Amino acid sequence: MSTEDSGLDDLFQRYRAACPDVEPSATFMPVVWQKIEARRGFWSVFERLARTGMAAAAVLCLLLLALNFVTANQRAAFQSYTDALMADHSAEQTYYTEAIRSTPSGNEVPAALRH
Amino acid sequence: MLVEQEVIEKARAGDPSAFNQMVLAYRKRVLGTISRLIGRPEDVEDVAQEVFVRLYYSLDQLRTAEVFEPWLYRLTVNASYDYLRRIRRRGESRMADLSEQQVMMADSLAGGKKQAEEQQKSKVRELVDALFQHMSEEDRLLLTLKEVEGLSLKELEQIYNVKENALKVRLFRARQRVLKAYQTAVADGKL
Repeated sequence: MSTEDSGLDDLFQRYRAACPDVEPSATFMPVVWQKIEARRGFWSVFERLARTGMAAAAVLCLLLLALNFVTANQRAAFQSYTDALMADHSAEQTYYTEAIRSTPSGNEVPAALRH
Repeated sequence: MLVEQEVIEKARAGDPSAFNQMVLAYRKRVLGTISRLIGRPEDVEDVAQEVFVRLYYSLDQLRTAEVFEPWLYRLTVNASYDYLRRIRRRGESRMADLSEQQVMMADSLAGGKKQAEEQQKSKVRELVDALFQHMSEEDRLLLTLKEVEGLSLKELEQIYNVKENALKVRLFRARQRVLKAYQTAVADGKL
């Protein structure tokens, strides 16, 4: 070890001795407990919010599950695809359906020009 | 250990009187370490209280009572580091504040001999703080724990949770940087 190395070690030792001992004040302990309580209050707000959020998410999950279960049961009531089609009256309830033309319109290509 | 393992176990279980006992046993050591790490006597108590608040909320994460002391050291180092980062963000100067405090201390001292001793101590503190200016806060804390607090590599390994070799390399580099600054100070006649 060089003289500078040992000089540095000596300086560190003197530094340790030069740093004053800090005595805790009389309020040290009460303040620690105050801070603990304050933090507990702060975190309990988050905890309550998190719990409410989790409960709401659980209820929503159950509702979605129930809805899914009901619709699945309804679908299962049909024996086949044709039964389901027969049961579906949505086409009858539409307000617009395209007209089916029985006669050819004027802009159709004449039969003589088709080939 | 300054307290029985049983006390630590009780505090972990949520016993407030056991926690009080732990704080009473360790507060002086924690205050001393923080004082050397942050160099601001007026904020030492505040940082120490923060350490014990963190300890209270992290006791359940402590694996066994045997590793309690390194755990407490880790909390102390982290709280000191957070404090130093906070004041650095605020752009406060440590040296300026220390000088002000030194002036106040010198004023308050009555006896001539005591005053001379205190001046000598202030000079040492100022010099080491000036040498530490040449390194990052992380390295400064690490070097203080090793060289000033006198912790072993094994203890540092537990505190920092890194391999001994990595610590050795970091310590060596940090020490080299301080040594260089020290050599310059010697050449300039500051020592």
